[in-house]
Amino acid sequence: MSSRDVSVEVQGVSKSFGSVIALNSVSLDIFKGEFFSLLGPSGCGKTTLLRMIGGFEVPDDGSILIEGSDTSGLPPYERSTNMIFQHLALFPHMNVWDNVAFGLKMKGIEAGIIGDKVTKALQLVRLEDYGSRKIDQLSGGQRQRVAMSRALINDPTVLLLDEPLGALDLQLRLSMQDELRRLHKSLSNTFIFVTHDQGEAMAMSDRIAVMDQGEILQVGTPEEIYDKPKTRFVANFVGHTNVFDGEVSNVGNDGDFEINCSGLVFMGVGEMKVVKGQRVSVALRYEAINLSKPDNEVKGASCLGVVREKMYLGGMFRFETVTKEGLTLTADIQQEEQSKLIKEGDKIQLFWEPESLAVLLE
Amino acid sequence: MRVLPKNYEKKVSENSTMSKKKLSKSRFDGVKPIGKPLFLLAPGVLWLLIFGLAPLLFMLMMSFWTSSIFGTKPDFSFDNFSRVFFTELYRDQLIKTLRIAFMTTMLTLIISYPVAFLLSRLQGLRKAFFVLLIFLPFWTSYVIRAFVWLPILGRNGAINNFLQSLGVIDAPLDWLLFNEGSVFLGLVYVYTLFMTLPIYLSLEKIDGALVEAATDLGAKPFSVFYRIILPLSWPGVLSGCIMVFLLTVGAFVTPQLLGGPSGIMYGNVIASQFLANNNWAFGSALSISLILIVMILLAISSRWIGVQHVFTGGKET
Repeated sequence: MSSRDVSVEVQGVSKSFGSVIALNSVSLDIFKGEFFSLLGPSGCGKTTLLRMIGGFEVPDDGSILIEGSDTSGLPPYERSTNMIFQHLALFPHMNVWDNVAFGLKMKGIEAGIIGDKVTKALQLVRLEDYGSRKIDQLSGGQRQRVAMSRALINDPTVLLLDEPLGALDLQLRLSMQDELRRLHKSLSNTFIFVTHDQGEAMAMSDRIAVMDQGEILQVGTPEEIYDKPKTRFVANFVGHTNVFDGEVSNVGNDGDFEINCSGLVFMGVGEMKVVKGQRVSVALRYEAINLSKPDNEVKGASCLGVVREKMYLGGMFRFETVTKEGLTLTADIQQEEQSKLIKEGDKIQLFWEPESLAVLLE
Repeated sequence: MRVLPKNYEKKVSENSTMSKKKLSKSRFDGVKPIGKPLFLLAPGVLWLLIFGLAPLLFMLMMSFWTSSIFGTKPDFSFDNFSRVFFTELYRDQLIKTLRIAFMTTMLTLIISYPVAFLLSRLQGLRKAFFVLLIFLPFWTSYVIRAFVWLPILGRNGAINNFLQSLGVIDAPLDWLLFNEGSVFLGLVYVYTLFMTLPIYLSLEKIDGALVEAATDLGAKPFSVFYRIILPLSWPGVLSGCIMVFLLTVGAFVTPQLLGGPSGIMYGNVIASQFLANNNWAFGSALSISLILIVMILLAISSRWIGVQHVFTGGKET
């Protein structure tokens, strides 16, 4: 990883609005050409961080480097970044062509070259026939694509995306996600994408930073974030997870350990350094758990329980179970044949791969 | 695949039609429309006819009549209109009035735009305070706002007294009042708010993200103003201009109070026909001519400044 070129370097940046702390000494490296997502609930500081990179907010403390040079004091119009705004902010008094050409005009580029580039930029988002349209004559998806080409025509070092897909319905959202991924693959620009939708972040990103209350909790690939969440917040925010508080009750010679959560004992695999008596939490994804009849032979870790509720979610069943220790464990099961045989109130056996258990040190 | 009851769909459709019937019954049962909805406009239309259109039509009719010392009597003569347009006195007066109205409009625009711009930049309580300050003079009567310049500009007024006490001048200046300049001053003062307010409102409506987007795309502050803020506030500028122009073209009280003999405007000429000369027919012709000319001017300017924006809120029609 260290061999890759860094595009944006955030160094100990803090920002507060009045008494509200938006960012608390955040540091982050974003690599060149990467699709990087800032993921978190509203108010976590992700948009503030993005706006700082764009030059719209000034950090109280710390600095932001783009391509190795400090951006302190640079106004947005002198930065090599471009932003796609949450509500797109297309200029309503200009047609599509003039919207897209705006950035180049501001740079004082010759009219002939602007013409060629705008044509290409509109082709890139498949809107070549829409140049003379007014903005209010476009559909939601077309507006998205105009906003994309208006930003990308300037060939920004970093493209900043401030939840631009937030207002779209699901179908359009998915197709715009495809569009963005396609654009990112065909270009070499760094994309920084702000979203509160974990599915969107998972689907699009090379790496994700999960943020909460002005801090970055975890940075990693979507797989790392999903499979090995480091904190309870990350585990809960990304996907559906059973989280239990517990205590390390036994540490084996090979580094494997046992965690006792209110009587139910989980096995931890020995990548982590823990000591006996340490308080930890464990996280187990809904879909990592399987069910079977109580007397069946199963592989991996297991426990016994009773089905309290069964729901059909389309393509899978969700079982809310209570283990004999009294813990509530939820499992998502995809095999319908097997699931149909299990009814509410049945005694069942829950089992999972020990590796799918994530141990949270927080 | 799930197995549904055999007549499931049928049942569902029956249910839905039944509920529709029920719904329509319960909603409209016993309610009969009073008549065609157009009739509901009647009170408004009547009001407009009686108080708006009728006097205007009557004036139009009267402009073809003839007035003499024996009174005004029905006629169909274009004499009044030929007098309006071919007498040098009235033609010059008309041109002068249009010039004053145009200049006043430009002056109020130059004053109002920066004020509205600064106002739209303020936040919270400060904004409320300054908006209130701007409105404050308009709580008093229009006549008083024009009249107040007399004790300021008059021979024994505040300015003359002040300058004399400083020893800058020996005798009071008498060119401060009763000329075209003082009429300008009065009109600009009296009508500025009609310019400031629409500009302020159109500036307020501009989404801050548009300004940020332009900045992000490399526009320096001046370009942002010229390419984003100015065009988007254009409807406000236009409606302000039209309002101030219309108000000043028909101004009567301000030139009466501050104008003196050289500051007379068309409104005063019209008024004198009705009040002093008792020539209602000619007064009507003057009024109708002014209305026509203003309408023609508006129609011409709409060709190249897009007056329709004023009425459509800046949207393309």
